[in-house]
Amino acid sequence: MVIWVILLAMTAAAVMAVLWPLSRHYAVTRQADPDTQFYREQIAEIDRDQARGVLLPSEAEAAKAEAARRLLRATGPHHGHFAAVGEPALRRRRAASTLALSIIPILALATYEIYGSPQMLSGPPAAQMPQQAGNVDLMTAVAQIESHLAKNPQDGRGWEVIAPVYMRMGRIDDAVKAYGAAVRYLPPDADRFASYGEALVLAKDGLVSGEAQQAFEQAVKLDAASPRARFYLARAAVQDGQIEKAKAAYAELLSTSPADAPWVGAVQQELASLGAPQAATGPAGEPRIGPEAIAGMVAGLASRLEAQGGTAEEWARLMRSYAVLGQRDKAMAAARRAREALAQDNAALKTIDTMAQELKLTDAQP
Amino acid sequence: MTRKQRRLTLIGIAGCVLAVALGLVLYAMNDTIVFFNSPADIQAKNVQPGTRIRLGGLVKEGSVQRNSDQQITFEVMDAQAAIQVSYKGLLPDLFREGQGVVAEGVLVSPSVFRADSVLAKHDENYMPREVADTLKKQGHWQGEANASPKTQ
Amino acid sequence: MLVEAGHFALALALGLSLIQFVVPLWGARANDPVLMAVAPTSALAVLACIAFSFLALTFAYVNSDFSVLNVVQNSHSAKPLIYKISGVWGNHEGSMLLWVLILALFGGVVALARNSIPMRLQANTLAVQASITIAFLLFILTTSNPFTRVIPALPEGQDLNPLLQDPGLAIHPPLLYIGYVGFSISFAFACAALIDGRIDAVWARIVRPWTLGAWAFLTLGIAMGSYWAYYELGWGGWWFWDPVENASLMPWLAGTALMHSTVVMEKRDALKVWTILLAILTFSLSLLGTFLVRSGVLTSVHSFAVDPERGTFILGILILFIGGSLALFAWRAPMLKQGGLFAPVSREGALVLNNLFLATACATVFIGTLYPLALEVLTGEKISVGAPFFNFTFLPLIVPLLLLLPLGQTLAWKRGNFLGTAQRLYAVFGIALLATLAMLAFQHGGPVAAPLGIGLGIYLVLGSINEIVTRSWSRGAPLPVAWRKARGLPRSAWGTSIAHAGVGLTVIGIAATAWGVEAIGSLRPGERLGAGDYEVRLEQVTPRIEANYREDVAVLTVLGAGRELGTIETMKRLYVTRGMPTTEAGILTTGLGQVYASIGEVQADGSIGMRLYHKPLVLLIWIGSLVMAAGGTLSLTDRRLRIGAPARAKVAPPVAVPAE
Repeated sequence: MVIWVILLAMTAAAVMAVLWPLSRHYAVTRQADPDTQFYREQIAEIDRDQARGVLLPSEAEAAKAEAARRLLRATGPHHGHFAAVGEPALRRRRAASTLALSIIPILALATYEIYGSPQMLSGPPAAQMPQQAGNVDLMTAVAQIESHLAKNPQDGRGWEVIAPVYMRMGRIDDAVKAYGAAVRYLPPDADRFASYGEALVLAKDGLVSGEAQQAFEQAVKLDAASPRARFYLARAAVQDGQIEKAKAAYAELLSTSPADAPWVGAVQQELASLGAPQAATGPAGEPRIGPEAIAGMVAGLASRLEAQGGTAEEWARLMRSYAVLGQRDKAMAAARRAREALAQDNAALKTIDTMAQELKLTDAQP
Repeated sequence: MTRKQRRLTLIGIAGCVLAVALGLVLYAMNDTIVFFNSPADIQAKNVQPGTRIRLGGLVKEGSVQRNSDQQITFEVMDAQAAIQVSYKGLLPDLFREGQGVVAEGVLVSPSVFRADSVLAKHDENYMPREVADTLKKQGHWQGEANASPKTQ
Repeated sequence: MLVEAGHFALALALGLSLIQFVVPLWGARANDPVLMAVAPTSALAVLACIAFSFLALTFAYVNSDFSVLNVVQNSHSAKPLIYKISGVWGNHEGSMLLWVLILALFGGVVALARNSIPMRLQANTLAVQASITIAFLLFILTTSNPFTRVIPALPEGQDLNPLLQDPGLAIHPPLLYIGYVGFSISFAFACAALIDGRIDAVWARIVRPWTLGAWAFLTLGIAMGSYWAYYELGWGGWWFWDPVENASLMPWLAGTALMHSTVVMEKRDALKVWTILLAILTFSLSLLGTFLVRSGVLTSVHSFAVDPERGTFILGILILFIGGSLALFAWRAPMLKQGGLFAPVSREGALVLNNLFLATACATVFIGTLYPLALEVLTGEKISVGAPFFNFTFLPLIVPLLLLLPLGQTLAWKRGNFLGTAQRLYAVFGIALLATLAMLAFQHGGPVAAPLGIGLGIYLVLGSINEIVTRSWSRGAPLPVAWRKARGLPRSAWGTSIAHAGVGLTVIGIAATAWGVEAIGSLRPGERLGAGDYEVRLEQVTPRIEANYREDVAVLTVLGAGRELGTIETMKRLYVTRGMPTTEAGILTTGLGQVYASIGEVQADGSIGMRLYHKPLVLLIWIGSLVMAAGGTLSLTDRRLRIGAPARAKVAPPVAVPAE
């Protein structure tokens, strides 16, 4: 509320800056005409120079003559009277005041409405502070670990500590490097390999690269039960077009997992997305996808984006899918989530906005 | 001097200076301008040995050899061709194998290039503009957008 | 909250600028002082708004407010305070905000100088100035908004490009921008004169201090940028004829010409149309520079912004203002009263030559900078126009200018006597010639360019000293009298001589680079590398860890003539956050020269690559520039010029008693 008062006061002050000279009874004290003054000064200066002996008398005489000539010219007829009185002047003054009173507030408010973030004004500013304080601690910790690692780059344990922090901060590439170093310097461990692989997958926007696949295979070799590694290996199989193999792998993962394991939902969705019709025709044939399968795929995409984030294109695809399925509210929700997730990426936000406009999700503005 | 003469003198001098400047510019245009070529361009355009050019492309992986006395050789390649580059001096901070590079120097033979300056990208996001354009043209450049995920 | 208020202030400034544009123009047209009086108050209000906005952004940087996108992208909570502040303009959005802030600042100063500028001229000038402000505010608000928010706020920022974390670069952009944008005032005055259809010596006197001030700042800015490139990029070069450097050199050349032509206009009421055109061209070149740097059409060391949308917008601004002002010029200039002609051999004749050479040299830089871009757009052929082109075209135009400089400075106004003038310079010319011959004889077949160039520099410096001496001392006069006379010389005379001597110093510094020696080698600890008279011995290479980077430090002992002169350190740094390597050169200053070492890679056999230069007299390049700027500033303080400046606005000059 206070802020609106401040903005209002600022606007009022700005308008006043224009209205004040318009309202003044302009005492038409004619300025000492600067032109003639200029030449008078010049003549005086020539005199002084001559007195100091900088100029020869003959030179001074010539210079003075010329200055005087110009002085005469400057006092000529071109200095009309100022038109500050009378009816037209009053009308002009009123028009200018109206212009100032309307243009300044309207233009400022409109511009601010379009480009500003007025919703930031009403939000409690205190809400961010504790979070920030916590971040500062985290940041100093990260900085400490970084400088420690810079000194001891072979300290695998340090790398392992910092890697998940990088992940959470969204510095995926750094996380990949950190996990890579941890894997290199620490004794082999299934979980570590799985995390490394996962970071690699995230760095490639969900694509399981050869490198990631190797990491997962290592993990499975060390611990055949590693659910994360098996999950991603199954996904790699999907990418390679080996749908049957993937389905078998997912099914097996599901059967060996406790029912309340956190990954069960994700596995089920992946399985659903490899729906029956597709399996029947095989990857080579033209897949006929039923509405359930589409819904399943969309849900899978949604949960993946929700869980791991994704590119702007993927979010846009999700929005479109919802729109196609007729679930406009979900599409809007997806747009909102996408903006939050991609807030630091201008280009991505643009993609989302374009898609939102295309789908006419106009009320999904933040 | 009359008014007219003064004016003519002025115009004459201005004309002379401008003519000299124009001559210098035209001459320099012929003589000092360096064309940018990728390894494929060198083959396609049949650039003559002894020509001064800027060569741009990617540094071939594993091709960098450092000899004694800061003498360095590496290969610059694009999608179609590669060319051997020799250079004496310090390489820029961001010179890496597999990354874009622009070298200026003289073509010794159709496959050997002697560089006297080597420029690499200046930060992690920057690919030398000419190199990026050439690669794009050859369809080997994916730009900033990564390969789209195939998960779905 | 403050950030949003700052954003709103920017929007408010847009509205105010529109009023500042429309109402005073109307007032000047209707000859209504009330409407014209809106110009200064609204200009001051615009200044207040933009300054507030800039402070709000600075505040966000200092407090590491990571809910502001711009702060996230260019700052880091662990960064030292000075780089948090300089980070404000170390990026595209913030630097554009600084740009309009300086624009508004100049507008504000013109608004305060109301007693020394005729009202109509002031109103029209501020209106033109407002039109520029509007264009750039729109640009900022629509394409480069520094106040874009991130919701929810992010935990940490992405840090500033390490190359920019340097004190030199912290002050380089503001200096450069004051120079660039300062010329907008000359431009606005020129357009105002065209709108009014009246121009005379008074106009020249009013415009001159602004041009001088902008020129002095631009000189400092260019020198600072050049020194930064010299020690930070690690290549030992100080000028690369890089398009971004050329972008600042072109307005400097045109501004130098403008500065001189306004003198002619003020003293002799001549060269009016040319001066107006030059004022327009100078600022157009400033705009062009902004376009080249900010649009990303060139991707070079300095370009931080690559965005076609922005490029098109600035191109639009460029076309609007250059096209608009030139159209105004073509329409109104023929109506201006022509000034008088004058004798070719006279001070004003020499200044015309100065303008001719400077403008032509500027044109060659222009061609060399834009030709590759034009060619690429038209034919797709990529070429590079480098130092050889500029050395071949620029130098032959500048050297005659420098040779004529002391002569022109000595010539009398109106009707000079060439032989008499030349006589006064015999001694100067003789000494310079002797020095050149002596150097040639001593150096045993070294580069010829160095002695010739240094001789030219000496000639310029002595010529400037000679000018002061001959104006204050005649043969046989006692020294105290001469001293009194010298002190009585106008400050602008001193300023001129000092600035010209600065040119001479810079020329000496540049010429001496031909004497520079370079050596490249790989060193193991204990080994030596020599360049000319100097040698370095590698003592050790040690790793070192700092807050935001780690580095390998090579410690070198510099030896000259067998004596140890000192140690220097050169580093290869890796900035952890960005994963970006940089090289820091080690520099030892010996007198006016420098020993410059730059570390390369660590080789497989444990030795490190090293590049070593000895650069004699290299510091003179920048010292000369400082002297030039100092000369300009001294001229600026000349009482006779100050009627155009605001500081004196309240107090009437004590000597300005009307003659009657």
